[in-house]
Amino acid sequence: MTAVLSPTVREAYPDYLRCLDAADEHGAIDLALALIEGGVPAEDVLLGLVAPAQAQVGEFWQRNEWSVAQEHAATHVSERVVAAVATTVRPRPHRDRIVVACMDGEWHALPARLVAEVLRLDGWDVTFLGASVPSPHLVSYLHRQDPRAVLLACALPMRLPFAYRAIEACRRTDVPVLVGGRGFGTDGRWARTLGVPFAADARAASSLLAAPVLAGVEEPAPLGDAEYAGLVAARVELIDLVLERLDLSRYSPAQIDATVADLGYIVDSLAAAVYVDDVTLFGEFVSWLCTVLASRGVPLHTVGLTFDVMADRLRDFPRAHAYLRSTAV
Amino acid sequence: MPAAAAPDWSAGTPSAARRASAILPTADALVDGFREGVVVTDPAGVIREFSRPAARLMPGLVVGRTLAGCGEGPLAPGELTLGERRVRCRRVELTVAGTTSIAWYVEDVTDAVARSDALLAERGRARFLATASQKLGNPLHEDRAARAAVRLAVPTLGEVAVVVLAPRRGRARWWRATAGEGEAPPIVDGGVQPADELPPALDEAMRGAEPSAADWLADQLAEAGWLGDRDPARVAVRVVTLPGSASATGALLVVRSHDLDDHDMEMLRGFAARAGAALDAAVLYRDQAEVADTLQASLSPTEPPEVGGVQWGAAYRPAQSSLRIGGDFYGAHELSDGGALFYLGDVSGKGVDAAVFTGQIRQGLQALRRIEAEPARLLTLLNHSVLETTRAHGHGRFATMVLGRAYPGPGGGLSLTLASGGHLPPVVLRGDGTVETVDLRGMLIGVVPDPRIASVTLQLAPGETCLLFSDGVTEARGGVRGEQFGAHRLVDALAGCQRMPAPALAERVEQVIGDWLGGRNHDDIAVFAVRAVAPGSPARHLHAVPDRRSA
Repeated sequence: MTAVLSPTVREAYPDYLRCLDAADEHGAIDLALALIEGGVPAEDVLLGLVAPAQAQVGEFWQRNEWSVAQEHAATHVSERVVAAVATTVRPRPHRDRIVVACMDGEWHALPARLVAEVLRLDGWDVTFLGASVPSPHLVSYLHRQDPRAVLLACALPMRLPFAYRAIEACRRTDVPVLVGGRGFGTDGRWARTLGVPFAADARAASSLLAAPVLAGVEEPAPLGDAEYAGLVAARVELIDLVLERLDLSRYSPAQIDATVADLGYIVDSLAAAVYVDDVTLFGEFVSWLCTVLASRGVPLHTVGLTFDVMADRLRDFPRAHAYLRSTAV
Repeated sequence: MPAAAAPDWSAGTPSAARRASAILPTADALVDGFREGVVVTDPAGVIREFSRPAARLMPGLVVGRTLAGCGEGPLAPGELTLGERRVRCRRVELTVAGTTSIAWYVEDVTDAVARSDALLAERGRARFLATASQKLGNPLHEDRAARAAVRLAVPTLGEVAVVVLAPRRGRARWWRATAGEGEAPPIVDGGVQPADELPPALDEAMRGAEPSAADWLADQLAEAGWLGDRDPARVAVRVVTLPGSASATGALLVVRSHDLDDHDMEMLRGFAARAGAALDAAVLYRDQAEVADTLQASLSPTEPPEVGGVQWGAAYRPAQSSLRIGGDFYGAHELSDGGALFYLGDVSGKGVDAAVFTGQIRQGLQALRRIEAEPARLLTLLNHSVLETTRAHGHGRFATMVLGRAYPGPGGGLSLTLASGGHLPPVVLRGDGTVETVDLRGMLIGVVPDPRIASVTLQLAPGETCLLFSDGVTEARGGVRGEQFGAHRLVDALAGCQRMPAPALAERVEQVIGDWLGGRNHDDIAVFAVRAVAPGSPARHLHAVPDRRSA
C-alpha cells in the first residue's frame, strides 16, 4: 500500500485524523467528498489521504497511544469513507471482471479494499468480497463468476501457510491468482517463494492485470516439510511449556488470554518462517512484537524466556532452533 | 540352444561333443531355420557362406565377394537399416582349426520396432488424455472449461481447435485456440453465434452424430469464420460431439494441415468425451448454484431499515461457509408509530434445513407484527404459529430468540422493550464503557403451547448500545485447547468500546471471535447491535455502504 501523503490533500489531513480519533463517520465522509467536489481525483483521496491516515492509526495503536477499540472505530470510519467515495465516483466498468478478497482469518480489509476501489476507478469490473473470506465460499464464487483474475490479500506473514492453501484452492478453479499485502513481505519475496505473482500496490496490480497473458502460479519449491508439520503439532505443547514458567497468579484473566494469544503468534510466526525457509520473517515479527509489548510496559525478558523454553523443546527442529537462537529480543 | 551355443564355438570347443547322433539335420539346415540371418566372411570381408534368412534381407549376397562387391551396405554391430527393413546386427569372431572367420548375425526387428513405436505413440496419447482429464477437471464454469479444452487441444489435436457450446436461448457461445508462433502458448478468443446460423455439420454434432470428413466441412467452417486465414482447400477438418449426460454439451472441431488417422481420431474422441464430461459438470454446477443463490438470497438476513434515532449494526458468519446461510437469523422492521421492531434468534439444527426454518419464522414475524407489536405478546403469537407449522411438518424444530421494540425517548436516547424466548440475554454497553448483562430468560419457542416469555424494559442514552448475539459467539471454541469463548470474554471485548458505531461494534465481536477460533470450525455466529444516536443525525450515508455479503 502506498501510504504517501498527497500534496492535494495535505491541508485536510489533520482534520481527517481528528475525525478518525472521534469516530466521526459523517465528518470524515463530508471531508473526503468535499475534496472530490473540489477537483481532487478520487484516487488521491483513497491513496493519499485514507491510506496514510490508516497507516498512522496502526502506528498509534502499535505505540499504545490508541486503544484497539479506537483503532477499530477509526478503521470502520475509513471503510465508510471508501464506500462513500466509491458510490460518488462510479466509472462505468469497461474492463474484465476481477475479484478481490482477504483470505480466511484476515481481518485487515482496508488495504485490499483500497486496491479494489483503485482498480474500479481504472475501469475494472471489481467485486470485493471483504474480510476473512472462507475458502469454500471464495472457490464457489470463482466457479460461478469466471473472473479474469482473483486478487488475494494477506496482511500477516504468520498466515502464509494458510494463504498458500487458499492460493492452491483458487488455482484449482483455473482462475489466475495475484497476491498482495504486507504478509508476502514488503518486497513480495515470500510470494516468489510460494510461486505466485505479487503486486506491490494498486497501480502494479492494475498493470499486471492488463497484461495480455496472466502469469500462472508456478510450482513452488517444496514447502511445508516435516519440520513445519512438527511445529504445528507441537503448538499447544510449546505454549503450555512457556505458561508453566510464568507466574500466572499475577495475571488477570484478560492478561492470561493476551499472553496465550501472543505465544500463539510467536509459534505461528516461527512456523511460517520455517515454511518459507526465511529467518527474516521471524525476525521482523519479533521486532514488531517487542515494540508493541514495550509500549504497553510488558517486560521483554518474558520474550527472551519464551525463546529459551521453546528452543530447548525444539532441539530436533534445526531451522526453528536456529531461528530462536539467532533472533535478538 | 543355438544362440547360447555361439560363444562355445568361438572358444573352440569341439562342437561334435554336443552332437548326440548322426540323425540330426546338418548345420546348414539348422542355420537356415534360425530367425537370425548369418553371413560368414573372412577377416578381409570376403563372404564365405550365408544363410537363407540373410539372403532374404540382402538379396545381392554372393559367396566370394565382399558385401560392397555384392551391392549391399556395410554391416556394423547395433541397429541399422537394410533396404526397407530395420535389423539388429551382432559380430562374432570364430576361429576353427586356426582359421578366423567373422560371423554376422542379422536379425530383422522391423515389426518389433513398429510395435514399440506404436506403444510409445499409444503411451503419448494416454498421457495426453490423462493430463487433459486432470486439467479439464479443475474449472466448474462452462466458459472456463471450454477455454481449457481448446487450449489443451492445440497443438496435439490440431493447429486450430474450436469448442462450440450447445446453444442456450437461441445463441451458441464458442471458444477457439490457435497455435502460437514457435513455443508461444495458443491464442484463445471467442464469440457468440446465433443458433440458427450454426453450420449444419455442427448442428449434426450437437445432435450426437459425428459428421463425416468431407470437403464441404471445411467450407462450412470457413464460412462461419472459424478457420481464420487458412485456405479451406488445404486443411483437414474434423468435428466431434462433446457428449453430456442428457444431450450433447457442444461440439469440438479441429483443423490441421494433414488428416487424422484412426489413432488420432480415437484420441480426438477420447478427448471430446473428457471435455464433454467437464462441460457437463460445469453446467450442472451452474444450475445448482443458481438454485443455491436463489435460496441464499431469500434466506440471508436483509439490511435493516433506517429508523430515526437508531443505528443498527450486524455481523453474520454461518457455519456452512460455502453457501453462507444457517440457523441464526436477525432483522428489523420500522413500525408505523415511529418505533422499530428488531430480533435475533437461533433455530435448532444446522445448514439448509435450519435456514429454511428461519425463513418461516421471519415470515411469521413479518405477518404477525401487523396485528401485535408488543414484544412478549408477539412472541406468544409466534409460538402458536411455529407450533402449528412444526406439528404439520412433524419435524419438531424449535427456536430461541430475543425480540425487541425501540422507541426514541423524549430527551434523546431509546426506550427498549425486550422479550426473550429461551435465548441468551443481551448485553448493554453503557456510556461510561461498562457492560451490563440484561436479566432476561424465558422458554423456547415452538415447544409448548403456552411458554413463559420473559420481558424487560430498559433505557439507552445516546451513544449506548444493546447487543444481541447467538450462542455461536459464547460457545466458540478456541484459545490453546479449544475452550469456550464464554460471556466474560465477550464483556471484556466490548468494555471501553462505547464510542464505536454499531456496525463497527458488531464487526469487532465477529473479529474477536474469528481470532479466538484461530481457524477452527464453528457454529453459526450472529451479532446484532442497536445503538441510540441523536435523532437528527443524518443517515444519508448508510445506504452508500454496499453490503459486502450480498456477493
